[in-house]
Parts: sequence; C-alpha cells; structure tokens
Amino acid sequence: MNPVIGYAAIAAVALASALIGFYGLRISRTTSDFYVASRTVRPWWNASAIGGEYLSAASFLGIAGLILLQGAGGLWFPIGYTAGYLMLLLFVAAPLRRSGAFTIPDFTEARLESIWARRVTSTLVIVVGWFYIVPQLQGAALTVRITTGLPSWVGSVAVAIIVGVIVAAGGMRSITFVQAFQFWLKLTALAVPVVALLLILGGGEPAPQLTPAEAFPPAAGPAELDAYRTVSLMVALLLGTLGLPHVLVRFYTNPDGVAARRTTVIVLVLLSVFYLFPTAFGLLGRAFAPDLAASGEADALVLLLPGRLVPGIGGELLTALVIAGAFAAFLSTSSGLVVSLAGVISQDLLGGSVRGFRIAAIASSFIPLLVALTTESAGLAGSVGLVFAFTASTLCPMLILGIWWRGLTARGAIAGMVAGAVLSGAAILGGPLFSAAAPALRPFLEQPAAWTVPIAITVTVLVSRADRHRIPRGADAFLTRLHVPEQRVR
Amino acid sequence: MSDEGASPPARVRVTAPRPGGAASPATGTVDRALPHVGAGAPTSDIAGVYARSLIRSQLRLAIVFAVGFVAATALFVLAIVLVPGLDDSFVFGVPVSWLLLGIGVYPLTITVGGLYVRAASRNEARYRSLTEEE
Repeated sequence: MNPVIGYAAIAAVALASALIGFYGLRISRTTSDFYVASRTVRPWWNASAIGGEYLSAASFLGIAGLILLQGAGGLWFPIGYTAGYLMLLLFVAAPLRRSGAFTIPDFTEARLESIWARRVTSTLVIVVGWFYIVPQLQGAALTVRITTGLPSWVGSVAVAIIVGVIVAAGGMRSITFVQAFQFWLKLTALAVPVVALLLILGGGEPAPQLTPAEAFPPAAGPAELDAYRTVSLMVALLLGTLGLPHVLVRFYTNPDGVAARRTTVIVLVLLSVFYLFPTAFGLLGRAFAPDLAASGEADALVLLLPGRLVPGIGGELLTALVIAGAFAAFLSTSSGLVVSLAGVISQDLLGGSVRGFRIAAIASSFIPLLVALTTESAGLAGSVGLVFAFTASTLCPMLILGIWWRGLTARGAIAGMVAGAVLSGAAILGGPLFSAAAPALRPFLEQPAAWTVPIAITVTVLVSRADRHRIPRGADAFLTRLHVPEQRVR
Repeated sequence: MSDEGASPPARVRVTAPRPGGAASPATGTVDRALPHVGAGAPTSDIAGVYARSLIRSQLRLAIVFAVGFVAATALFVLAIVLVPGLDDSFVFGVPVSWLLLGIGVYPLTITVGGLYVRAASRNEARYRSLTEEE
C-alpha cells in the first residue's frame, strides 16, 4: 500500500479535529463550558456527537473483522451496541439529565449521600475509561502499521498526544463539535466505499474468492450460535452501555430531560444507519478476502478491502477515506473518554478547576498509552465487549437501582459494585488461567455478564435491605427530582 | 403496551387524597396530611403521592418496553433459526438468514424507542395536569 495515502489521511483528520477544537475554544470560557458544554447543545448536534463518541475502533474496524472471523456471531455486536442505547433511553436518559450532576460519581454522591460510595464509583469509572481507551490506541497502532509501514507504537503515541492536547485545550464544548463532525466523517468513510464496492462488484469483476455456500457456511450461520455466549454478550452490551462514563457525561449536555430522550432516539437512528456499513464490509470480506482471517489480520479488513478490489487511483482514494474514518474513530472515542475521566479525576483530586481538568486530561491519555504499548491486542471488538461486561456488572446496577429504587443505600451500592468488579474482573483477567484448569467453564469466563450482573444486582439489593435504616434521608426528594418533568418556561 | 403503562396515573386521579377526600386506600398519607390542611402544607404531601405514582408508572413503562423488545428480538431470531431454507436461499450472494439477522433488529429498536418516548411524555403530561390543578 502507498504510505503517502496513510500519512495524508491521518494528517487531514488530526488537523480538522484540531481546527474545530480550537474554534470551539473561543467560545468555551467558563468552567461549566469545560465540563458539560453549559448544557445548551441542540438534540441533533448532541446526537451526532454521541454517535461520534460512541463509534470506536471496535465499531469501525472490529465488527467487520469479527464477521469475517466468526461469521454470524459478529452480527450480534452491532445489534447489542445499538440496543444498549435503547436500554439507556428506557432507564437512564431523562432521569440522569435531571439529576443535575456533572459526572457519575457526582450522581452517586448526591443520591447516596456518601463520600465512600463516590470514591468507589470514581475508581470504577477511571478503570473502565482506561481499559476502553486501550483498544482505541491498539486500533491506531494497527492502522498506522498497515497503512504506512511505520512501527505500531507510532499510532498509539500519536493518538494519545492529539487527544490529550485537544481535550486539555478545549474541554467539552469544543469536543462536542469535534465529535459531531467525526460521526459524519465516520459514516461517510464507510458508506462511500461500500456503495462504490457494490457498484463495481455488481459488474461481476473481480470474482469472489469463495462461492456463496463456501463463504457463508451454515456452520457459521445464525442457527449454530452458542446460546449462552450470545445471551451473555447481549446482557453485557445492553446493560454495559448504561454505565460507560463517556456516554453518560454526554447526557448532561441536553437542556432538559425531554431533550435527553429525543436525543437518544436520534442516536438510535444514527447508529442503526451506521452499523449497516461495517456489517456490509464484513459480509463482503467473507467472500472476497477470506485470507485475512487466516493471517490473523481480520481487524484490518476495512482498511485493506477497497485497495484490493478497486484498482488504481480510485482504490487509493477510497483507502484514504477509510483511514481517515478509522482515525476519527480512535480520536473521538478516546477524547470522549478522556473528557469524562478528566472531569472525574479533577473534581475528586484536583479541586475541579479548569487547570486541574487540563492536568487530568493529560494524565488520562498517557496511562492507557502505557498499557497499550505493553500489551498485545486480542481482537478489537472482543476486548471492548469485555469492558462492557465489566461496566454492566459494576456501574449499571448502581445507576438503575439508584434511579428507580428508593431503598438503595450507600453500603448496598458499594457491596454490589465491589462484588461485580471482583467477579467480572477475575473472570476477564484470570479467565485463560482458570479455563485451562477446567475447560467446561470457558464460556462462562469468556462471557461473564450473564452471571456477574445478576449477582451484582442481588448483592446490592440484599445489602441495602439489611441496611434499611440507612436509606439516605434525601432519597425521596432526589427521586422526585429525577422523574418529575422540568418546569416549563412560560 | 403504551396504554398499559399509562394507566397508573389515571388510577391515582381517582384515589389520591384531595383536600377533604377521605375514602382512600393510602390512609397513612391522608392522616398525616390532614392536620396541615389549613396551612396549605398538604400540597407537598399530595405532590409526593403524585411523584411516587409517576415514578412507578414510568418504571412500569420502561420494564414493559424492555421486556417487549427482548421478547420480540428473541422471537425474530427464533424464526430465523427455525424457518427452513433461509440458510440456502441467497440474495446478492448472501444467505437470507444472515441478512435478516444483520439488518432486521434495527427497525425494531427505533420503533420501540420512538413509542417509548411518546408514552413517557404522556405520563409526564398527565402528572403535570394533575399538579397544576392544585
């Protein structure tokens, strides 16, 4: 592949992001602007920004790679990523907006009136955020290596630096514009190549490497999926979305609860349209580039397919577009995560000032960089799926019960979060070790959400029940505030 | 579905203790409210009843929609698995079963989301009309 295309595309995305970021800097002046864009972002802007932030390396590269690798099992990932927003709409969107908190730990403290519950939540938010940034940086490493031939670490370092600088300079307001731009860039970057490929392949040239029956064997089809794994993955993706720190902070930028709901429905539409294209890439890949699965480069399918199927300058331009979209994915998800992490870290440790936010932003982009540089990627969609499982087992039960059940106490929430974190963390990190000893346990360790989430919820409820006399005094007033519609401006 | 979720506030309209209204199952609340009738304080207790019933009806609504979505998705997937021949009939070189699973769930998601927003707003509008009657 011609490395000039790679350099040009990456430079263009970084430059465009920085320009929009600095344009935003001129209008973000107050602390509130920095944290939540002063809560005045319109639904369409906000929905595009949520989409931009949410569609990460796992969505842009990982899904197509997984469909190529596993077959119909990969189709469940985008379904889960989208339906997660439906659950968020049903259980969290409007109440969370009305809570008036800046971050998830703010919510916990206001709801449970406990500094310890806040500290546990902050720790979990930071862990989730860091482990979600790592696959983004690994995706960047892969993209840079494949498209420019430079060593892998260059991609990770470049993304970490760009994100740290943009976030520290502009805060949330500018990030909202950058994210919205990047959503439409990502959509274009997959849609145009897919349409072009379909038009070209419609002419019958080049011929697929495999016949349809070989490319889509029933053994890899929807009927042959492992029921437990599929259900557990869906539990993780549907409930994990609720707890993702960068997703939640985004809802505070809606003007009110009703706008938060409307925004979420627009997000459902945007995500549904977007996910058609990685799915199409994956299906095309099964027929036209099956060798990538064998060579272990499945995650690079989206980057390589246009150049393989379209000869000459056309293929190079499509490749440049795809590289730009991939970089937009790494940049936008990482910067969204860094914004929310910086919000949490600076409020808990650095006094909540704009300067503290900047210091925290730099720190939150460099620690995941260290992890990314010292570990090996094990499939982008898969590792992001595990972060969802962890979030679903820890932050999700606390949030849902905190919003809907007045009986939740600080001890109950802490017990549930710790139980969920220990169990799902042990399953994820210790899984290879345990399943070597007891192979029958393998699916339960590789997809832990189906048992860790119920256990976390049960622990939360039982401990809260036992702790009944410590129900926060303000619980009723706080729940009322979450659910009662805002006063209309007359 | 939405009608079922919207019904609880209607029930409150019938039984909620208005000033002077005594025959209510929620007698504890009424008893505590009564001494304050002259001071205008019961509004806040009644507001509490309204708020709690709003929360209950919104929770029921959310659960009904969530369960409905999961059940509909499960049925859809079951149909894909059980209807014979979907793996062997191809459209544009892709088996119909793969295409259905890859595309079919998104319209359902958007529909459920849109219906929920309307139903939830209706609950809130009913709450508003109840509290503004005070």
